[in-house]
Amino acid sequence: MTYTALRVERRGPVGWLVFARPDRGNALDATGLAELEAAWAELEADLAVRVVVNTGDGPAFQTGLDVAQLSRDPAALREQSRRTRDAELRLTAWHNGVTKPVIAAVNGTCAGGGLHFVADADIVIAAAGATFLDPHTSIGQVSAYETIALVRKSPMEPIVRMALAGRHERITAGRAHQLGIVSQVVDPPDRLRDEAQALAELIARRDPALLAATKRALWAALEEGPPA
Amino acid sequence: MTAYATYETLIVERRGPVGWLINNRPDQLNAMNSTMRDEFAVAWAELEADPEVRVIVHTGEGRAFQTGVDVAEIASDGVGMERYRQSVEDFDLHFTAWHQGVTKPVITAVNGICAGGGFHWVADADICIAAADAQFFDPHVSIGQVVSLEAIGLMRKMPVEAVMRMALVGRHERMPATRAYELGMISQVVDPPERLRDEAQALGETVARNSPAAMAATKRALWRALELGLTDACRAGAADLVSLWGHPDQTEGPLAFAEKREPRWAPPAGGLAPPSDGLSGLSS
Repeated sequence: MTYTALRVERRGPVGWLVFARPDRGNALDATGLAELEAAWAELEADLAVRVVVNTGDGPAFQTGLDVAQLSRDPAALREQSRRTRDAELRLTAWHNGVTKPVIAAVNGTCAGGGLHFVADADIVIAAAGATFLDPHTSIGQVSAYETIALVRKSPMEPIVRMALAGRHERITAGRAHQLGIVSQVVDPPDRLRDEAQALAELIARRDPALLAATKRALWAALEEGPPA
Repeated sequence: MTAYATYETLIVERRGPVGWLINNRPDQLNAMNSTMRDEFAVAWAELEADPEVRVIVHTGEGRAFQTGVDVAEIASDGVGMERYRQSVEDFDLHFTAWHQGVTKPVITAVNGICAGGGFHWVADADICIAAADAQFFDPHVSIGQVVSLEAIGLMRKMPVEAVMRMALVGRHERMPATRAYELGMISQVVDPPERLRDEAQALGETVARNSPAAMAATKRALWRALELGLTDACRAGAADLVSLWGHPDQTEGPLAFAEKREPRWAPPAGGLAPPSDGLSGLSS
């Protein structure tokens, strides 16, 4: 399949899903939303791909929905609103049921809906200088999905602060590393893709069935509520 | 200027958009007696109801932030003991913002010692910051008491081992503010410590720039995430998200951003959330 808002590539056993609208902060327009579903399905189906790396071109990693473009495409906006309402989003590997390990390599600004791809990745690494923020409440929007998943995966207080401080505060890559939101900060930042490839190749040496079972077991652990 | 009730054990006031709730029994290290307990319930409700208040900061007078139940009163006053026992047995507590269903953002600013029951206000705050000389410890087991409610809340919010260690070591070890920051229990250490209130006010004013309605729904979604599995929490969060569709802030926010001006938000609804709304039951 040919993509325009994304690039899907292979380097050895590693599949790459790259956000490729750098002049729009990699925000997701109607095309990008449709392509994401196709890209995750393609990478999941390709037996040569053992691990997936997700990153972005340009200064931003991902900044969420391209609301300006979507407002000019009522059908796409309606469908996205329906999926939001019905909790049927198909943005991330987790939404799309990907069983392979997914590494998010955060190359720069990760804002709002971009946090989906951090919250739902198995492993997250970041370039030094990358930042995380959640501007939803500053523009009158509710922060729910992305931060709900992050609250389960990180100490809660810094996530609630990020959601309530809106666009007026950012979490740095260094602080995200301290908190365990990311496990590696790559410095210099231009080494991010090399480091992501190396990490992915290391993981790709393991038995795919073992990796899938491990991933399934650990994510299932987040589904258990407290005992009644 | 809103006139608040008169308090014996608390100071309740407003500075700009920030409502302040200050523990005011410094000679007892702000330990909570029967009066203070009742006054907390009233103070949270008053600050929630005041439309001028967008964010609430909670701190203490003197060298302690909070040290939990006033054991001296409980031991000497049969009535206090009985009331305390009954409220815990019924899990009928009203002294934190979370117990009371406060929908506005709450910042706890730990000004000094935070011990034992003092953790209630750390566990139940949305945001927590501390003075550089603040210290955290939980002496319950050192005086023959069980650690329960406060630590249960904290364990869902931060690395579990650190909470368990505090609970089991009791009064023999203290966690400094820097360690609390490393662990993500708090998000800011204020040094020098005497700048704590200024920093809390500044943070409160920053948060107050955001949509009250959006923050209330966000807060509801995130606290409920502690009660449910991930998929269920996302489904429930979708309802919170959708609940704001059609609200004036949803168009005012993007418009103000495009016009490069401060948004004019609808005032906060200012009603305590019903206890059935997923804000209670964490410890049940």
